[in-house]
Amino acid sequence: MKSFRLLNPTTLDEAIALCADPKGGVTKLLAGGQDLLTEMKEHLAGPDRLVNLKSIPGLDAIEAGAAGLRIGALATLAKIERDAGVRANWTALSQAAASVASPQIRSCATIGGNLCQRPRCWYYRMEEAHCLKKGGTECFAYGGLNKYSAILGGGPSYIVHPSDLAPALVALDAEVTLRSAKGERKLALEKFYVLPEDGGIEKETVLADGEIVTAITAPVPVAGMRSTYSKFKERDSFDFALSAVAASVVIAGGKVTRARLCLGGVAPVPWRVEAAEALLVGRTLDAQAAREAAEAALRGAEPLAQNGFKVPLTKTLIERALLSLAG
Amino acid sequence: MSLQDTPKKKKIKVPKIVNGIESEVEIEVDDVPGGTWPERSSLRLLNHDLPRVDGPEKASGRARYAHDVRVPGMVYARLYVSPLPHARVKKLDLDAARKVPGVVAAIGLQDEPKWLGEPIAAVAAESVEAAEDGLRALAPQLEALPWAVDHAGASRPEAPRVAKDENLGKPETNGDEAKARGALKASAASITAMYTVPIQHHACLETHGVVVDYRGGDEATVYCSTQQTHGFAGEAAKELGLPGSQVHGLNEHMGGGFGGKFGLGLEGQIACRLSKELKRPVHLMLTRRDEFLMGGNRSGTIQTIELGGSAAGDLLGMVATSFKHGGIGRGSLAGQPYIYTVGDTYRAVRSVLMNLDASRAMRAPGHPQASFAMESALDELAYALGVDLLEIRKRNVKGPESWRNEAWKRQLDRAAQEIGWATHPHKTKPGPATGTECIGIGFALANWGGGGRKDCEVEVRIERDGSVSALCGTQDLGTGTRTYMAAITAEELGLPLAGVTARIGSTRMGNSVGSGGSVTTGSLAPAVKDAASNARALMADHLARVMNLPAAGFRFLPEGIVNDQAKAPTVMTWAKACATLPAEGLRANGKWVDTLQTSGAPGAQAVRVAVDPGTGRVRVLHMVSVQAIGLPLNRLALKSQIQGGMIQALGYATSEGRVIDPVLGLHMNANFEEYKLPHALEIPRMTSILDEGDTRNAVVGVGEPPVIPGAGAIANAVANACGARVRELPITPDKVLMALGKVV
Amino acid sequence: MSKGSDRDTDGDSAADLSRRRFLRGAGGVAAGGVIGPALLAGGARAASATTISPPAALPATEELAGLVEIELSINGTARKLKVEPRTTLLDALRTRLEPALTGTKTVCDRGNCGACTVLVDDEPRYSCLQLACDLRGHAITTIEGLGDPTKLSVLQQEFVAHDGQQCGFCTPGFVVAITAALKRDPRASETDIRAACAGNACRCGTQPQVFEAALAAGRRLAEGK
Repeated sequence: MKSFRLLNPTTLDEAIALCADPKGGVTKLLAGGQDLLTEMKEHLAGPDRLVNLKSIPGLDAIEAGAAGLRIGALATLAKIERDAGVRANWTALSQAAASVASPQIRSCATIGGNLCQRPRCWYYRMEEAHCLKKGGTECFAYGGLNKYSAILGGGPSYIVHPSDLAPALVALDAEVTLRSAKGERKLALEKFYVLPEDGGIEKETVLADGEIVTAITAPVPVAGMRSTYSKFKERDSFDFALSAVAASVVIAGGKVTRARLCLGGVAPVPWRVEAAEALLVGRTLDAQAAREAAEAALRGAEPLAQNGFKVPLTKTLIERALLSLAG
Repeated sequence: MSLQDTPKKKKIKVPKIVNGIESEVEIEVDDVPGGTWPERSSLRLLNHDLPRVDGPEKASGRARYAHDVRVPGMVYARLYVSPLPHARVKKLDLDAARKVPGVVAAIGLQDEPKWLGEPIAAVAAESVEAAEDGLRALAPQLEALPWAVDHAGASRPEAPRVAKDENLGKPETNGDEAKARGALKASAASITAMYTVPIQHHACLETHGVVVDYRGGDEATVYCSTQQTHGFAGEAAKELGLPGSQVHGLNEHMGGGFGGKFGLGLEGQIACRLSKELKRPVHLMLTRRDEFLMGGNRSGTIQTIELGGSAAGDLLGMVATSFKHGGIGRGSLAGQPYIYTVGDTYRAVRSVLMNLDASRAMRAPGHPQASFAMESALDELAYALGVDLLEIRKRNVKGPESWRNEAWKRQLDRAAQEIGWATHPHKTKPGPATGTECIGIGFALANWGGGGRKDCEVEVRIERDGSVSALCGTQDLGTGTRTYMAAITAEELGLPLAGVTARIGSTRMGNSVGSGGSVTTGSLAPAVKDAASNARALMADHLARVMNLPAAGFRFLPEGIVNDQAKAPTVMTWAKACATLPAEGLRANGKWVDTLQTSGAPGAQAVRVAVDPGTGRVRVLHMVSVQAIGLPLNRLALKSQIQGGMIQALGYATSEGRVIDPVLGLHMNANFEEYKLPHALEIPRMTSILDEGDTRNAVVGVGEPPVIPGAGAIANAVANACGARVRELPITPDKVLMALGKVV
Repeated sequence: MSKGSDRDTDGDSAADLSRRRFLRGAGGVAAGGVIGPALLAGGARAASATTISPPAALPATEELAGLVEIELSINGTARKLKVEPRTTLLDALRTRLEPALTGTKTVCDRGNCGACTVLVDDEPRYSCLQLACDLRGHAITTIEGLGDPTKLSVLQQEFVAHDGQQCGFCTPGFVVAITAALKRDPRASETDIRAACAGNACRCGTQPQVFEAALAAGRRLAEGK
């Protein structure tokens, strides 16, 4: 890693001011460091300063109760995974947290860092490949080795977003709170991510200079809501998703009254499929409905030369995830 | 035998290892009765489960490896290796590197790297951080030159030349093509299929490297991670310009080899050069990325197999057209047909050179590749003929050594029993691709030599205080060498295992074979037994003089030393007996005794898998090995060794393979995130059975056979489960879905 | 190789869609194109950012630069060492302590293999992905702190008895990871044990014996033996 100065602020305002200070050189935020440090070791990032968020108390609280869910951005995945309240009422999030990486990573990786992590595309992760995402002119995966790349929403960059928590949180109608010197703003998590075609090339999120994710919130689930996160890995022990499905449904009187479906590992952003959701509402959640929802979700998929398998794979995952919620 | 008698000589065949690859040579040895191992039922330590004597050091993190060595004044060295397969170095700022605080040396090594990963420069510094800064300061600029890094790119006529010779080598042929094709035509059914295996990495957890401790003067110590301690130190001495006797090689523990750690290597040469110039100790251990690029690999292959048989299942004809991918080297591939006997055969094998590091020996070099193709083709033919998958194998093991054929048949039956073949519904046809869990079974065979040769020199020392040590400058890769050295000696002297200390890994001890080709056990164990036996004889001679009793009457038992010919029976404790020794104790040497070892390690494996046709997921549920091993020295270590081999085959079959982008010339998965080893959730239930039908009272090395059959057995099991025949490793979900026709 | 992009989808040919996406986004900051926010950077800031006046006086923030002396609690002992902010805990243990603690191994240095696993406040972490300076005030336990050859922990004893190690290079990482899991629940099942060391690589293939050792140790710990 390149040398840097490590700053340990004790308040959020200090941290924000440090990030905004132009005299500091290239500045990056340090949370769990489980992604940032690997980027720095590969010289994909070489900040002059790291601003540590762990020295600020009170950013890691988990409140899971009758008022809804509020998780401080510095809460670790291990803490989230073990929280009984989260598991009971925001099950997809609990399952997503438990599916991330390995126990060693989960013990210190944070929810904020997980949502903001950079992609795993092997061209992106190699310093020698000066790809589109890093300021070059070509997405090498597009015409190259693209087995792990996007089948939906891709172009001109074909990365898949690697976060497990993001699709689960989208299926739970989560919002993210951002703080800067200008104040706070809250937006739907779906809106936090930017498609490459909308400019999300060198960055994947709307996070601005001097802005910090401080909390993730989700509403109290509608009575009777069940949610799940299903992650398919090439290597079960420790891997990113080859494809993943987050789903939540409310079933009343034998019919679906509400559905959320969000895919991971197949698109540059967590891929919410409203067409499939709409198709389910008012119907019995049976094999036929699940199959139709899966078809609808993958309509418009544009596989590349080597990742066509993600289409039947994702359909299977969607069908099974939905049926697992049928009760 | 009087001193005037000249012992008769006899000729025997022994393995000869060059860089871990085994061939056979004939040698002459004395024809004297060698000695035999005791009757198995009388063995107290050997043939039992013995906990590893170096287990406590390893489990507590106290075992010291080359990577861990710290000596005063030591500097850390790092390499800059070529990220491109062929390039010209246009700029390399060695001066800037030298000016970086903490950097003590920066040297250029290569102006025009011709293979991906070839070292271009080296930097040495006082800290690991400064060494990294030094590398960055080089600010290299490379001009890409034409390269060839894949089969298509390297074998086409206009391909850029990798070396002086043409990329596509001349075919090495064997057999009669016309006859083989005639036999194929006359077959009741025949199949043609192309099988592809990628380059696999050794992925030793401890990377290659060395600490060269030279501080000026006329001697040096090298702490090496190697499979051949004496050889390594000898090469280091040459590089340092010192006499071999002045360079002490130390290799007490090493973190895995699997065939990849023979010879000083480029990294060792560079470390020696730096240490010589700086007159300071140099620690040079490859980073994980450099290890993937230049640490060696198992060659890839493409094999097109045409195989035909009779209606009853006899193999009549085979034509095997193969290519070896060994980087800038020739690669390796065991000859087809692999193990099975086919009536008329023809094979043609060609090397395809590429701008990639040369392949090296890797656990059974060339065998897993050949096995995968042969076993897969055999199943495909069996389905075409409608013949039972187990029976076709038993029917076609007709090699020249009938004992091996009988062993394979017996082992196949046992493996089939363990895997649940009797009640399995799909014996002649694959199962349907329905539901979420399709169960399949696959079989495959292993074959190996595993005999030893005469190059181990062992010393056993008995001290006056009763302590005993067995010494040899050999290595323990995790193979359990230390433990059986102690056990053999303890068995011989009637001592508990803890009563003997095995000392290895120093060139100040006797010579040893390199640990490759599974020859260590067959070479070392007999020499240890010989040394222990000689020590016992010398002890008996000594006690005979002290106690005035016939030497031949002494017996060394766990309860103490007795003499059958003593008037009044007495038991003398070991401690008391040793107390009568002179101050310098007792020393005995041992050398190889050919009757204590033998060659021949056939084995059979069976695998059960569950395939999910909806996702392509393959779960390996159970792997069974039935292995002939001669006399087991340590059953617990054998179990670990055999399971370990099966797990390496599991990775080979289901998740491993080097990936190179042919256009950009980049190694895409030079890390443990994208080069996927099996971890805990991938490990199936494992059953390791030592073939009870093998009653040979001689030791055989079995490091290699257990890794051979797994990939073929797994591929067969997947096809058997649901009809998904994947002919290219690794068998990942995408390939299964494609084989099932689910990817349009 | 067929390219999926040749299929027709919803009117637009997929090729048109792709080309449109490519042209829309390619080339970075095109006139009229939507610009993603610039990376956090000192000098180069997105043109649309509002001017921010720095606060009048920043509260004191600790800043670490160059070579700093820190104190870490390692295996129950306060240790002073000199590190840079970028020095990982792994490199600190192996190269900046006298004598070095080399039981924790450098194998991948990227948080992929577990050989560098240590405990921080009883939880397993990859020490290669921890900044040493970040661990002041935490309790660090390395393999050396769990036992030594003359006094092995229960788990280490079972590793020896069940042959949980071959070359031994991965062993410290497995022992530490499983120690944490058994501390949480000595009645851990084989499924739990496998999950606990899913982040650890072994090339020699010790895993089946490791699981045996872990279960045996768990039984003893649960019974208080």
